[in-house]
Amino acid sequence: MTLQEKLKLYRINETEYARITELLGREPQGVEWAVFSALWSEHCSYKSSKVHLKKLFSQSERVLQSFGENAGIVDLGEDEKVAFKMESHNHPSFIEPYQGAATGVGGILRDIFTMGARPIALANYLCFGKPTADRMSELVDGVVRGIGGYGNCVGVPTVSGQTNFHESYDGNILVNAMAVGLFTKDDPICLSQAKGVGNLVVYVGAKTGRDGVHGASMASESFDEDSESKRPTVQIGDPFFEKLLIESCLEVMKQDLVVAIQDMGAAGLTSSGFEMADKGSIGITLNLDHVPLRDETMTPEDVLLSESQERMLLICKPEKLKPLQDIFHRWGLDAVAVGEVIEDPVVRLIWKGETLTEMSPKMVVDNAPQYERPFNPWTSATRSEHGEISDGDVNNESLLATLSHVTGGDKSWVYKQYDQRVGANTAQDCSNPVGAVALPSGRALGVVLGCRPHIMRQDAWLGGMDSIAYPAIELASKGFEALATTDCLNFGNPEKKEVMTEFVAALDGMNKACEAFVAPIISGNVSFYNETLDKGVSPTPSTGLVGLRPSIDNIPASGFTSEGNSVVLVTLAKGCSQGLLWENQNKQGQFFFDTELAKLAQDTKNFAQVVNSLDVTASRIVGNFGLAYTLSRMTLDRGLGARIQWDGPAGLEPLYQVVLTVADTQKERLLSSLASHNIDATVIGVVTGDRLIWNDLDLSTRDIKESYASSWTKAFPRLS
Amino acid sequence: MSRVGVLRFPGTNCDRDIWKSIELKGHTPQWIWYQDEFSPEDFDAFLVPGGFSYGDYLRSGALAALSPAMTSLKKADAQGKPIFGICNGFQILCEAGMLPGALMRNENGRFIDQWVTLKLENKSGWTPAKVGESFRMPMAHADGRFFINEEGLKDLKDKGQVWLTYTNNPNGSVADIAGVMNERGNVVGMMPHPDRALFEWMGSTDGLQFFDWTGEA
Repeated sequence: MTLQEKLKLYRINETEYARITELLGREPQGVEWAVFSALWSEHCSYKSSKVHLKKLFSQSERVLQSFGENAGIVDLGEDEKVAFKMESHNHPSFIEPYQGAATGVGGILRDIFTMGARPIALANYLCFGKPTADRMSELVDGVVRGIGGYGNCVGVPTVSGQTNFHESYDGNILVNAMAVGLFTKDDPICLSQAKGVGNLVVYVGAKTGRDGVHGASMASESFDEDSESKRPTVQIGDPFFEKLLIESCLEVMKQDLVVAIQDMGAAGLTSSGFEMADKGSIGITLNLDHVPLRDETMTPEDVLLSESQERMLLICKPEKLKPLQDIFHRWGLDAVAVGEVIEDPVVRLIWKGETLTEMSPKMVVDNAPQYERPFNPWTSATRSEHGEISDGDVNNESLLATLSHVTGGDKSWVYKQYDQRVGANTAQDCSNPVGAVALPSGRALGVVLGCRPHIMRQDAWLGGMDSIAYPAIELASKGFEALATTDCLNFGNPEKKEVMTEFVAALDGMNKACEAFVAPIISGNVSFYNETLDKGVSPTPSTGLVGLRPSIDNIPASGFTSEGNSVVLVTLAKGCSQGLLWENQNKQGQFFFDTELAKLAQDTKNFAQVVNSLDVTASRIVGNFGLAYTLSRMTLDRGLGARIQWDGPAGLEPLYQVVLTVADTQKERLLSSLASHNIDATVIGVVTGDRLIWNDLDLSTRDIKESYASSWTKAFPRLS
Repeated sequence: MSRVGVLRFPGTNCDRDIWKSIELKGHTPQWIWYQDEFSPEDFDAFLVPGGFSYGDYLRSGALAALSPAMTSLKKADAQGKPIFGICNGFQILCEAGMLPGALMRNENGRFIDQWVTLKLENKSGWTPAKVGESFRMPMAHADGRFFINEEGLKDLKDKGQVWLTYTNNPNGSVADIAGVMNERGNVVGMMPHPDRALFEWMGSTDGLQFFDWTGEA
């Protein structure tokens, strides 16, 4: 193989190759190529984003663990903590939707229980192309089946999600999965730092096969016409094994048999081995031939790079090996000592007694390239300086059209295929804007996803800010206080200046909002090269926020519940956007936003407390398509209508307003509570009858429901 | 206080939910591991929880039905002990031949998670509810379409073994059947999840009474 061919195979560029030879003092040999290929891939090294990620707001009083481990951890008080993280699996899901999505769920779950937390909730953020785009029905079907197939079987409920459709994802869908795990009083937090010379390195879980070899570097490349040929780089998952792995790992951790543990994710054994050694500033040996294999003809390089699923690497004291193996064997899993911790700070790779190479983990991990990709300062093309933005034309016909369009219609086809209640802790399922699960203390944990791609397309800074503010306000509308954030930064090719410019602007918007809301970003990943044939996706910094509510009881519903309730519109900030209504008509909308984020955050916090102190029957943020659409969604649950008398905009998307309903007798108390916090609130109508009536708008709730329900089959006739 | 054995197979995932349900009703749950045989005398009742035993390999419930714990469970059945299978537990009891019929892939070929309304058709030894009473609770399964041939269905109806029906059939089950019992009424199984309808915040409390053994079939 010529050098050029090698560079292409291992996806290493010439500058990086020069650096490698400089570090080694010679040319790389044998498996060293594989090690550098994996650990210096964009996916593992964050080489294009690291300089920017360092600026992230990532700490608060509640944060026990931020970046640097498998997942972030926040303290909930009352002896409860949660670990959570979100991760992308975009490239594999586009190549092989079922397995790509399934293993995305499997991977994110391992990040959580690796730390010692029992997974209690899943959420997923999906972006698909136009329903008519090539392969789109098949992709939607495969991804949804994959997520369900994995999550349902391991027994972790999916409690929240978001599904977007836009042509920019025609050639590159996004599949981001979030998992949350709970530590109760006596659950230890386990970290990945290798420690204790003489301790054993133990391989546990499923056997290693050829699947996923070169997966990390594949995910760091754009697609061409030939993405089909990348299929063997996609891993195959087995949720049954994962379930056994969850139970056995939690058991050995609880019995204090583990010194350190790390899951084998991207770049498999290579990244877990090198990272564990690097974090401990210590060395390890890895006898690659001791690794349980599915196929005895595998080479050392295959073993190093395999991304076979449901595997862990852990460190234990020699005397603990036997009890540890007993537990894994009881669950029917392999647990094999494959090496030991050594004083020399090197990773020594051994094959049948022969040392293949030894490399300093510091040299490989800490010297990974970091690029300062060029970008421009952000200038907005769509901001209206004075807030003079006209409303859209909302009438019976246009509202029904929105409800029956795939972007505004019913997406229950998706989440009905997910077990939303296994674990028997779910209080708010995917049909609500915020997912909620009960904590043992009787409090509620809220899970919500953010990032509205159409706002990103309008303005990257605004969209980044909105990716935090919008879900934080959704949490508040149900009485939750946002605690912390995880994110998946899905972008196109970072070597393009316009992509990097949007990346930096979005990150700045997010960061400012996180700081204001004290919702630090404590875990996540970056997914670049989401492009096919030079066409990138809309910049999509998806987020997952967790929130805490003092009680699991009486969480406001999301639709109208009772005849005679007052409908109250709460305004938390001054701003609005000509959003999806404009975009769906192929018009470029403008926006206006004139609010100090610190004040918005404070008002949101006070608002959440007001929601909890009164009997709020229902709440819903005014979101995509504006107020008329939001009100129509509130009629769906029970077919109850409303009579609205208000002269505000019906089709503009406010930044930010929330609709509440309360019993008439509670109305004055609600208004005065909000007024005492200087939060603007207006009674705009009453819940009544079976029609939604507002100015020219007059629709029966049955027609609303029919249009809403018809949207899915209209868009995807083959998926029923 | 009655002692309730809860069977655990590799892949069972509603075991902890069932544990909580049993405790909530003031009974004492105790784990039974699938590899272990046990003495039926040590327990007053048994629950087979939902999940994906053996990852649904071969057929849902098929492999679990052959495990050592199931041998003991059959002995418990012979002694007339109350036995209740939920979701995958129902599938296992059918595969083990302890309940009539079989559970097949839902009519639409997909996993379905949704709320359903059930009606009590005949009294079994479980739940004090009366015939004709209805209950709201979630279901969540891919293989929940109850099937039995015509002759078998006639037999079930004649002997009053149809326990629960759906008011709005979600999965294509024969005769809207959501749950059945054996002839004696001590072994029952249902696809929907009473263990997910215990508190107001879950959306319904109708599941609570399903964790009571009345002994009157």
